[in-house]
Amino acid sequence: MILELLKLLAVGSSYTLTSLAEALDVSEALVEQMLTDLERGGYVSTADTSCAGQCAGCPSSGLCALLHGKRIWTVTAKGLQAAR
Amino acid sequence: MSQGRAGIRIALAGQPNVGKSTVFNMLTGLNQHVGNWPGKTVERREGHFEHHGEQVHIVDLPGAYCLTAASPEETVTRDFIIHEQPDVVMAVINAASLERNLYLVAELLALPTPVVLGLNMIDVAQQEGFEVEPRVLQAAIGIPVVPMIAAKGQGVHEFIDVALQVAREGAAEPHRPEIRADHRAVLEGLLTLVAPYVPSPYPADWVTLKLLEGDQEVTELMRDQLPPAVWERVNSVLLTHEDAIIAVASGRYDWIRRMTRAALKRPRAGRITRTQRIDAVATHPFLGLLVLAAVLAVIFGLTYSVGGPMQEWIQMHVVEGLAGWLGTALASGPDWLRGLLVDGVLGGVGTMLTFLPILAIFFASMALLEDVGYMARAAYVMDRFMHAIGLHGKSFMPLFLGFGCNVPAIMGARIIESRRARLITILLAPLVPCAARLAVLTVLAQVFFPDSAMLVTWLLTGLPLVVLAVLGVALNRLVIRGEQAAFIMEMPLYHLPNWRTIAILVWQRLLAFLHKAGTVILSVSVIVWALTVLPTGEIETSYMGIIGYWLEPLGRLMGLGWRPLVAILTSFVAKENAVATLGVLYNAGETASALAPALRAELSPAAGLAFLVTQMLFIPCVSTVAVIKQETGSWKWVFVNVGMLALLALLGGIVAFHVASWVL
Repeated sequence: MILELLKLLAVGSSYTLTSLAEALDVSEALVEQMLTDLERGGYVSTADTSCAGQCAGCPSSGLCALLHGKRIWTVTAKGLQAAR
Repeated sequence: MSQGRAGIRIALAGQPNVGKSTVFNMLTGLNQHVGNWPGKTVERREGHFEHHGEQVHIVDLPGAYCLTAASPEETVTRDFIIHEQPDVVMAVINAASLERNLYLVAELLALPTPVVLGLNMIDVAQQEGFEVEPRVLQAAIGIPVVPMIAAKGQGVHEFIDVALQVAREGAAEPHRPEIRADHRAVLEGLLTLVAPYVPSPYPADWVTLKLLEGDQEVTELMRDQLPPAVWERVNSVLLTHEDAIIAVASGRYDWIRRMTRAALKRPRAGRITRTQRIDAVATHPFLGLLVLAAVLAVIFGLTYSVGGPMQEWIQMHVVEGLAGWLGTALASGPDWLRGLLVDGVLGGVGTMLTFLPILAIFFASMALLEDVGYMARAAYVMDRFMHAIGLHGKSFMPLFLGFGCNVPAIMGARIIESRRARLITILLAPLVPCAARLAVLTVLAQVFFPDSAMLVTWLLTGLPLVVLAVLGVALNRLVIRGEQAAFIMEMPLYHLPNWRTIAILVWQRLLAFLHKAGTVILSVSVIVWALTVLPTGEIETSYMGIIGYWLEPLGRLMGLGWRPLVAILTSFVAKENAVATLGVLYNAGETASALAPALRAELSPAAGLAFLVTQMLFIPCVSTVAVIKQETGSWKWVFVNVGMLALLALLGGIVAFHVASWVL
């Protein structure tokens, strides 16, 4: 099942946890667990959506909240290779 | 198993928020003790009670999703079960999240301690449309499963009955997950190698599995235990089968699927949540873009219809009033002081501050969209759109961060392995209109186009994205070819706005803005003013006038005088300075008067549009440039980026001026 997920991600598109859960016929929570496993193995990585202190004092820094606190995953080269 | 010990020892395990503590509290009552696990900041709760005349000692293990030792909670849980060897593990699982909860069970079953399952929250599961069959689950896993509603005290008694029975009498072998078939031989070979050296009390098969999973703690343990020659062989196997982590995990997920196939019925397809209903439109590849365009139009419309009159009121009654009062109060004072305060400070910072209502509404709209859960969808549909037009790859995620601020966008490019693709992403990132650039556009569109500010803002927000897409598609074909990668974004549930949260967010952003107005914008305003009066006191012969003289030929190409060009140049320090500098330059030598009429009197609509286009495409602020240097490690790429964007801005301004002159 986790390999199915990796193969799905290797196609290269945008997904939500919901759309992946539907595609794999499992719960979103389980997809999240699979992503955790894949991240542990270096097959996917999570993006740092924070300003990392770079925009301290910027009046617009709060607007980075566009993606703050949301987790975003992407496939690594190792992940793509494993999927193939 | 409990023979020779005083009473039965139980470990209570489970993932966070499954009702484990409720069970613990019900069983122990006041007979519990809370401390910390040795060397950890994780809370240790243990207690004792008597059940049917039998003394029971119970330890409430911290909530853990799995046993990978990735967190202190996971380490504590697995170390306790391995080293303390309780008689039984009572695993509490949430029936409404059965699949994920079974992941921990899959890991617990790999350890020798018998496990009994408390299937908690079956009422919640039913409310959410799940049907769970405890008996079917029990038959599938081969261990006792007790349905419970711990919050109501239902099933807890039966749960402890079953646990004590298993502790006394032992349990049948459960159906454990197995590593994927193609790696079984590897597992067995490795087990043969390491088994003689696995120290007590670690189970050899568990240690072997963890080695294949790349568990750092177990790997270090075995590296110390194994003779060098054996370790070399083991390490060689591990390096050859680096992908075994997938095989181990696959085994667990396949096991979960088998266990739940008959025991779990998910909500019917017709039962969809409100979030799913809204997302069917909001994240639809085409409809989602229309929704986003409409949302932006509403935001800009609201900003101008409400903020515009407020801005005029502040200009008329506050800034001009203050300028008049200062002029009178300083009438007998030195000219330079009056000029500094009226033309420099009020002309720059004062002008910027009149736009506070517009910014407040803009910030509030963004905070509202964020709070109700829409912002992530906005990014998601844009991502899909960009995929659709062919610009895809890992560059997209960092680019999206740029909508907030270009700095994290550029830093986010670190996720791209290919140096060439990373470089392209960094060079393109400043074309994503950051919040500061959008705020300046929002303010100045109102100044140049009071009757059609909403439409102009809406169109110009898209302009840099179109340029980015065109450049990106070309570069994608030529440079980032083949680097396609998926993104998975977490979408929060939609919910009603929390006005307090939104108010706090807007307040914080306005405070930060005021801080910037009092520091960077004030400094630049004073410097710009000084350059307009030094050394002669006349703007035409001032240092700024000399700079303007050199810039004038460029400005003529776009229908602009030198003042707007200087304003754009000062936006390099901070984007907001474009407005403040216009304020200083158009009020220099006079009392502070409204900026908008002065600008509209000098610049034609075509020139105004050219100014806005140039501003949207111009080089990013100094912080972004510094990060470009930091991330590329080269001044060459900084100059390439600055040169490319300056050229794009100039060309964009020229084209906008000539096309607009022809059309308008």
